[in-house]
Amino acid sequence: MTVHNLYLFDRDGVCLHYSEWHRKKQAGIPKEEEYKLMYGMLFSIRSFVSKMSPVDMKDGFLAFQTSRYKLHYYETPTGVKVVMNTDLGVGPIRDVLHHIYSGLYVELVVKNPLCPLGQTVQSELFRSRLDAYVRSLPFFSARAG
Amino acid sequence: MADEALFLLLHNEMVTGVYKSADQGEVENGRCITKLENMGFRVGQGLIERFTKDTARFKDELDIMKFICKDFWTTVFKKQIDNLRTNHQGIYVLQDNKFRLLTQMSAGKQYLDHAPKYLAFTCGLIRGGLSNLGIKSIVTAEVSAMPACKFQVMIQKM
Repeated sequence: MTVHNLYLFDRDGVCLHYSEWHRKKQAGIPKEEEYKLMYGMLFSIRSFVSKMSPVDMKDGFLAFQTSRYKLHYYETPTGVKVVMNTDLGVGPIRDVLHHIYSGLYVELVVKNPLCPLGQTVQSELFRSRLDAYVRSLPFFSARAG
Repeated sequence: MADEALFLLLHNEMVTGVYKSADQGEVENGRCITKLENMGFRVGQGLIERFTKDTARFKDELDIMKFICKDFWTTVFKKQIDNLRTNHQGIYVLQDNKFRLLTQMSAGKQYLDHAPKYLAFTCGLIRGGLSNLGIKSIVTAEVSAMPACKFQVMIQKM
């Protein structure tokens, strides 16, 4: 069980942060385009899910999975989107993504006067704490499995 | 806690605001730091009046410094000063290993050159508090690795 990578987007689609831990295959396009592709896809899926839902929608889009990986999605009321790709053995991790937002992003970026909002996060502290947190998760194994 | 975040965000905005409304010349000769320090001075004077209205008179200077390190720091920053050093000749060094206004910024060297701006208000706070307790002083701050920082208090003999 492992975490492949993590994206953080803000309300306007700016990619605030990206880290990867075990990514065996790259997308084959430049990073900027990859972020735009990811954001555009999420935007479309969200509106698709709400339109085509056969019952009243409660939470909306939560995750999708393929035969090799699972993409988890969490969106806050302010429009910050946390996207994490893990392998298939991982269940719902809404609380993990919520902690990444509230305990890490809000604490270390929003409250940091030297980090302007709406731009890629430069703070080393955020990067190292996020890395340490993800590595400490129960479903993260150091072996690329 | 909600009130901590409020002060932190307000303080950060205050520093940004002072720097934004200053001209280039003022930024270079440290006028902004002085403005922030003076704001802290006035706030410190008021705060110390409130905090000491029920306490007994202080025995001596060292007692006053201990009050600042323990009760004053706890009421403002929810923790005590970690280390107080003195040369018994009017110089005190207050060391805080995890200064509340800097913990979110970085853990080490990043953003180090911006740190003094965020310490100026607190220097004034200490100076104002001491002045209303009858001690004239000069307070400076230095930071080598965030979030630890040292406040140096030099007592002026009148």
